[in-house]
Amino acid sequence: MIDVRAHIVGGSVVKVDRHFELGYRDLAYKVARDCLECSDVDYVIVSSALPELSAHQVDLGTHIVQWIGRKVPVARVESGESSGLAAVELAASLVASGAYRRVMVIGAEKVTEYPTYIANYFYSLTLDYEYEVLRGVSPPVYAALAMKELIKSGVRRDCFSNWAIRMHENAISVPHAMLKFKITYESFKDAQVLSDPLTLYDSFAFGDGAAAIVVSSTPDRNGSSVELVLSKTEVGLPAYARDSISDFIASTKLLKEVSERFKLDLRKTAVELHDSYTTYPIAILRSLGYVDDRCDLTEFEFLNTSGGLKARGHPIGATGIYQAYEVFKVLTDGLGGKRALSEYGLVHSMSGPDNLSRVLVLKR
Amino acid sequence: MFLKLSVPQFWRVKENQYKLVITVCSECGKKTIFKRPVCPHCGSGKVEYVESSGMGVLESFTKVYYKTNSSEDRLPELVGAVRLSEGVRLIGEIVGVREDELRENAKVEAVLRRYLSDDPYGVIYYGIKFKPVLTH
Repeated sequence: MIDVRAHIVGGSVVKVDRHFELGYRDLAYKVARDCLECSDVDYVIVSSALPELSAHQVDLGTHIVQWIGRKVPVARVESGESSGLAAVELAASLVASGAYRRVMVIGAEKVTEYPTYIANYFYSLTLDYEYEVLRGVSPPVYAALAMKELIKSGVRRDCFSNWAIRMHENAISVPHAMLKFKITYESFKDAQVLSDPLTLYDSFAFGDGAAAIVVSSTPDRNGSSVELVLSKTEVGLPAYARDSISDFIASTKLLKEVSERFKLDLRKTAVELHDSYTTYPIAILRSLGYVDDRCDLTEFEFLNTSGGLKARGHPIGATGIYQAYEVFKVLTDGLGGKRALSEYGLVHSMSGPDNLSRVLVLKR
Repeated sequence: MFLKLSVPQFWRVKENQYKLVITVCSECGKKTIFKRPVCPHCGSGKVEYVESSGMGVLESFTKVYYKTNSSEDRLPELVGAVRLSEGVRLIGEIVGVREDELRENAKVEAVLRRYLSDDPYGVIYYGIKFKPVLTH
């Protein structure tokens, strides 16, 4: 656990989409250019998960700072789907230690350079290649098996649909969201099956993206900043080694701990939960006692205001930076017309099905 | 575009690909599939190894249509959670059965089958899959 005193003072994002005209460096340039607070930084951290696979590029961080014309030190962080929050944790540590004053964290990812089946393969490599992927296991397999477990334990199939429908509704008013359209319970009946009973509508959207935030030792003078008060990570067990595949022990433990410590009620808190598949947030919220087998989400006021990975989209190694930016916006200027008055905001990220879980706590 | 699987990479893990070895922790007593140096539950290095009989029960399964290569020949694949008779679970492909004939709680046994091959004339990599045990 890192108790940090650092501040997020600004940032920018591009719409998550199929940006065939933009590569990694172009995406990074756009967010660095459009982020006013990014002009004065003394360190850059680049967060991405796939450039070696999708762009044949090693040492992406160096090539990005050269391209965007910043003569400051740079490091790249890779931690699968949770790369973004790992990068924020490193930035906060650098600032809190006094080593650097202002760190720009850029998340950038390209997932549409190849046909979808190749992107699927790249994404599958977040699992253990030798002991899972070679054996025919891909991420939807775990999401499907966990969903079946939950259904056997009494959770209704509509429960997972509730999540997806809510995420699509949220995304409509978010400028940078990828899937800005509504879906209904009827939509699931004809949806493409990924791994039964899991469908395409239970899955995140693959999109290219880039996001930037600035982590500073001092708050912004205009008041548009939030304090970064906690970063914490928990490593879980491989899904096959758990008592139940739907046991999201690492995430549940982290969210329980931070909720107790900061007296957070997730129904009233600006929160971005990792929802690569609808199974996962439902399993976690159920374990925490927030939802029953019907999964009524109406009491959650600021639940994935962005639309989540499900509808905002999931540019794998950049997603955590989007999430941090989004909670920062919900706590300050607002996002998609929603502004929370709560004192705290929470960001949750996982890599794989709870193989690793991270949380950030932001304070107004 | 894909690099072929490295022969040494596969060769290094051959014991866990050709056999079902279980790690038994002398500290916490928990068993975990695959021969590994440390117990993933408690972190102890005091572990012993036993080889599974390869027999188990299919706890759950899913029909997978998620494409990760250009071929649709093998879709849908049947992938299941198998509880070995020694008590540990692993996930693996289920073969030798029509999808409409597969049932949860079916008895299954480990078989050696092809995982992938470099090309029609290249190295073929084999490993463990499962097939239902015939009862008649």
